[in-house]
Amino acid sequence: MHVPDGFLSPQITIPAYAVAAPLWAVGVRRYFGRGAVESLPVVGSLTALAFVIQTIMIPVPGGTSTHLVGVALLAILYHPLVAFVCESLVLLLQAVFFGAGGVTVLGVNALAMGLLGPAAAWLVYRLLGRVWGRGAAFLAGYVGLQVSTVAVAAVLGLQHHLSERYFPIPFSVSFAAMVIPSATVTGVVEGLYTVFALSLLRKAKLRGLEL
Amino acid sequence: MGSSSDARRSRAWLAAWVVAVFGLSALTDLRTLGIACAAAALIFWRGSWRAVRKVLLSVLPITLGLSLASWAWLRFGLKTGPSVQPFLALGLRAALIAFVTFSVLARVNLLRALAPWPSLVRLLCLALAQIHALRLLATESLLGLRSRMPRKPGAIDLVRGAGGITGALFGLATRNARDISDAMRSRGF
Repeated sequence: MHVPDGFLSPQITIPAYAVAAPLWAVGVRRYFGRGAVESLPVVGSLTALAFVIQTIMIPVPGGTSTHLVGVALLAILYHPLVAFVCESLVLLLQAVFFGAGGVTVLGVNALAMGLLGPAAAWLVYRLLGRVWGRGAAFLAGYVGLQVSTVAVAAVLGLQHHLSERYFPIPFSVSFAAMVIPSATVTGVVEGLYTVFALSLLRKAKLRGLEL
Repeated sequence: MGSSSDARRSRAWLAAWVVAVFGLSALTDLRTLGIACAAAALIFWRGSWRAVRKVLLSVLPITLGLSLASWAWLRFGLKTGPSVQPFLALGLRAALIAFVTFSVLARVNLLRALAPWPSLVRLLCLALAQIHALRLLATESLLGLRSRMPRKPGAIDLVRGAGGITGALFGLATRNARDISDAMRSRGF
């Protein structure tokens, strides 16, 4: 799902950084300062877990593959800004050490996968969590992933609209290639992962994590 | 003295790299991209093979695969006549940026460069340590599951096997993270 370096021009990547930077600053100051002594290890572990599950590719019909994101969980447990900072870190590590995604597109990827998706998941869980429990967790994971996918596809479409010479793949092609596997396969797995991980974390009763 | 000049040098490399990759991401012309490739190869000649190998393994298959599939779909599925040049430029740009990134990062000490931001260093250390630990644990659990089964485990077997062990592994990972976090805090991070 990551947009790789070189797929988006500075016309898009620089404004995305301008939006992301203050949010990073607020997120780090509010949730990762001195007061985060208890929660930081759990957040670190969940970030690592998100990193590991993002490397697990799910094959989809047609010979391609898609992957989970796994940070909706952080938004549900803490706050969408925690998910945003953690996913940004995951994306940075993937770009730097594994060549997945990239540095110029970090702002775009982080906003799509780290903020919009997790914020949607958080909202769904806040609205339905009390009345629907596991169903709400599933729906939160599913909706979060769809929102992230549509956001990434929309940005690629915008780049094509701005310059076909820069990004020659039309919106219809990139949208279908991204949304169909996400809606039919990955979204369901992401929803199940969210339910499964939440119930495990409840049983584990970890210090620094109130459920 | 040596380590502070090292940190300064690392930060200078990182700053130059950020400017360079944004500059490269604006290039669309194949000839300009070719010149930029030649310049990058000259600047990062030492150790370039390792960076090229990483690009070939991790970046080019995805970019080329996506470009080829999209071009083929436009050409044969939608019966349009797409030019090859933008697709080539897309692949070359992605590969060049990745090459520059890998080459620069091989020359800097990331943790030392980030030293002025201790919270970031602490989170980075925790995440890196946990990534290694979780990958190791995931590989070990998979190998354990395989050794217990007479056939290759399917998706359902994987989910069943994961259900039993993941909670315990995650608890262990969090305790490890807490130990690392406490140790780093006691050292002034």
